[in-house]
Formats: sequence, C-alpha cells, structure tokens
Amino acid sequence: MGAVRAEFLKLKRSLSLVVVIALPVMAVVTGVANTLFSGQQPADGWHTLWLRVVVFYGLFPLTVGLAVLASLVWRVEHQGGNWNALMGRQVSSLRVVLAKTVVLTALALALQVVLVGGVTVAGKVAFDLPGFLPPRYLLVSLVIVVACVPVVALQSALSMVMRSFAAPVAVALPGAVAGVFLLMAGPSALSMALPYGLVGRATQLGTGAFADGGGVGAASVILLITAALGLTAVVVAGATAVLERVDVR
Amino acid sequence: MNGRAVANEFTKMRRLRVAPLVLIMVVGVVALTCVTFTAPGFLDSVDDPDARPWHWLLAGLALAVPLVSPILLAVLASRQVDMEHQGHGWLLNQVSGVTPGHLCRVKFLSMGALVAGATLAQSALVVALGRAVGISVDLPLGPWLGYTTAIIVVNLVLFALHLLVAARVPNQLVGLGLGVLGVFVTLAGTGMPLWSAHLLPPWGYYAVATPVDTDAGGVVALDPPYLSVLSLGIVGALVFLGVTRMFDRQET
Repeated sequence: MGAVRAEFLKLKRSLSLVVVIALPVMAVVTGVANTLFSGQQPADGWHTLWLRVVVFYGLFPLTVGLAVLASLVWRVEHQGGNWNALMGRQVSSLRVVLAKTVVLTALALALQVVLVGGVTVAGKVAFDLPGFLPPRYLLVSLVIVVACVPVVALQSALSMVMRSFAAPVAVALPGAVAGVFLLMAGPSALSMALPYGLVGRATQLGTGAFADGGGVGAASVILLITAALGLTAVVVAGATAVLERVDVR
Repeated sequence: MNGRAVANEFTKMRRLRVAPLVLIMVVGVVALTCVTFTAPGFLDSVDDPDARPWHWLLAGLALAVPLVSPILLAVLASRQVDMEHQGHGWLLNQVSGVTPGHLCRVKFLSMGALVAGATLAQSALVVALGRAVGISVDLPLGPWLGYTTAIIVVNLVLFALHLLVAARVPNQLVGLGLGVLGVFVTLAGTGMPLWSAHLLPPWGYYAVATPVDTDAGGVVALDPPYLSVLSLGIVGALVFLGVTRMFDRQET
C-alpha cells in the first residue's frame, strides 16, 4: 500500500490532471462539433452521440493519452538521481511495477469518468436528449477501463525502459495503428492479443462499428475482461523481470 | 557555417533514433491507407475506371495522414530539441557562434528535409502498393501530386510550430499534448465547412488540402484551394523566421 501511496504523492506535482480532463473533453467537443456542423440531431439519441464520441476516441487518442500519462508517471524516476534511488529501494520490483500500474489504472478510470460526464452534459445541453446515458454504456465504460489496464502496464514498462518522454508515445502510435488494422482487417483473436487492439475493441463494444456486433452480451464482456487480465499479468511479469535486471546509471 | 551546423544536427540524430521514428510515420500512414484494400469489392474493381480505385486510395491517404502525422511530428520536434534543454546545448551552441534562433532554423532545415522526404515516400509507397494489388486504371497524377505537395507544406508548418513550442517550453508534455489536440482539431476540421477549417491553422489545413470526398454515391473528386495552403506556407515561414530572430535577441 505504501508504494501505491508514494506514487499518488508523486502525481500531485505532475500535470496528469490536465491530460485527464483535456483529452476526454476534446473528444466530446469534437464529436458534438461534427454532429452540429452536419446539421442533424443524433438520429438514435444517446447511442449516436456515444458512437460519434467514443469510436474515434478509442482508436487513437485514448492510447496516446495513456502513453503520455505513463511517461509522466515514470518521468520523475529518470530525473536527477532518482533512478539510483529507485535501484536502492526497499520494496520489490513487482510492487514498484504494480504500484505504477495501479496509479495509471486510476488515471484511466478518471479519464473514463470525465468522458461519461462530458457525453452526458453534451447530450443534455447541446442536443436536449431525453433521460440520461443508458446504463449499458456504464457497463461498457467499466469494460473500457479494464481494457486500459494492459495498455497502461505495457506503456509503463516502455516508459521504465526508455528515458525519453516522447519515445514511448511514439511506440504507442504504431501500436494503435496496428490495433486499428487488426480491428478492421485482422482476425478477431489477434486483435484481442494486442493490448492496443483490445482497448480498441472495448471502446467499440455496443456501437456496431467495425467488428462489433452492436450488442453488449455477457460473453463478449467476459471475453474482453479475461483477455485484459491475462495480458496484464504477462506484461507485469515481463516488466518486473526487466526491472530486476537493470542497475544504477 | 550553416552546412556544418546542419551536418552536426544529422550527427546528433543518430543517437536520437530519428530514423525509426520517421519509419514509424511512413509505415503508419501507409498501413492505415492500406485498410482501403479491405473495403468490400475494392480488389474486384481495380480495373474499372468508373469505380475510381485511385481516388478511393487517395481518400484513405487523406484520412491516414492527419491521424498519424500530428503526433509523430510533435515527437520528432520534441526529441530534436529536448537534448539541448538536457545538456545545456543552447548555451554551448551560442558560445560556438550558433545562436538559439539560428539553431532552431538549422534544426528545421535538417529535420524538415526528412519530414518532406518521409511525406513524399508515403505517397509514393501508396502508389506502388496500388500498382502491386493490380490497379490498372490511369493514376490521377494532378490530384495526387497536388495533395502530396500540399501535405508536405502543412507537415512542415506543423513541424516548425512544434519546434518553436519545444524550444520555448522544456516540458515535453506541452508539445505532445498539442500534438494530440491537433488530431482532434484535424478531425473536427474534416466535419466542418471548408471556410471554417481555414480558421484552424495549421491542423485544419489537412482538411483544406483533401482532394476527394466520399458520399453515398461513391468517391467524388474535389478542387482543393491550393492557394490557401500556399498562403499557410508563406505565413508559417514568416512567423517562424520572426520568432527565431526573437530567440536570437534573448539571453540564453
């Protein structure tokens, strides 16, 4: 618990909150602006609005945003003599890797909360939609957060290895492109095996876009969550093994 | 002095892994464009001039470029400038006779050449892949060259902007955040009327330069206002020169 608390303390002085708020808000603003400029109301109410905001957001910006957050979380360790302090730590490598992953998962959750809040406000204020966002999108949001975990674990591992702030983000972008390519053209199993493809699939859940059937069935939810947890375990184990072998510099 | 400074920048790039980053940009754009090949019926209509396969491919390219380029241009500019912040390179260069503004211009010349080359390579590779999958109808050379030239201009202006931001703000989050913001602005620009996309420079000009549009009837050729893109290039160059001259007069 101490390692996780320490990571949250480090976050206080970073600009992570700016990313957490700006990224989903920009996604909502873009989706709303495109809908308004098309001169049409969302034909299928909340579903159309969700589709217009979340489908594109899940293909590129979410992955890149998570990569930026992972770079921010590791940035402090690469500055000054902090890396050597990390090497002389009292907690195990696994706890360090897990603590970083937990903090990043909390930020991914915050991103999703802002996104859901933004879509709800946009639906009521910009389009005067009846009622509120249907509960199934809250379930989808939960699946999206779980699907973000292997991505943040992988990006955290990359940011741990690379001292550069920008380089892991540059890796995330082709990862997202590969994810999109697999979503559109590749076999379904392969897109689930790649963290970037998995988060893409999760954001399309219930929209009917690309490979998605349009429903939010128990089978697809369980499959996505199982794949996310399995991938996370593999990535965390790999990152821990790498951290065990690195030394002071 | 300029020649040696440019050569020096290329030497620095070797340790910055610039080549893989440029390769990522090219492969990313080409891979996303290739998604067009998987569209239903595309490969069956490669011989049919009425199906306009090259125009479909151009539409794919016009979608892929603005999705991939803004972020990678931000990364390239950030990498190129961050080393000067880290290693007190601004001061070192200044005492060697290369002022901060001059250094920014040298960085633009060296990396800008790679950005222009990469943009050209993306376009050429998409044509080569189109030929490889068997498109036998005539290539619409005018729109293709026009779009490629326009995108080189927009990419260079965007790169110059990121270079200035990275030089002024050492925190790389700002430059990369601007890159991500640019993707959204680009996306918003594609859904807006053409006149309003003009108001979002430089990202909105990806939409301005788009030479094709798709509707229920298929793909439609457009007549993009290349003069607007040229104006962006001229204004961008003047602003870049003005700001870098200002850097020269400031104390490091």
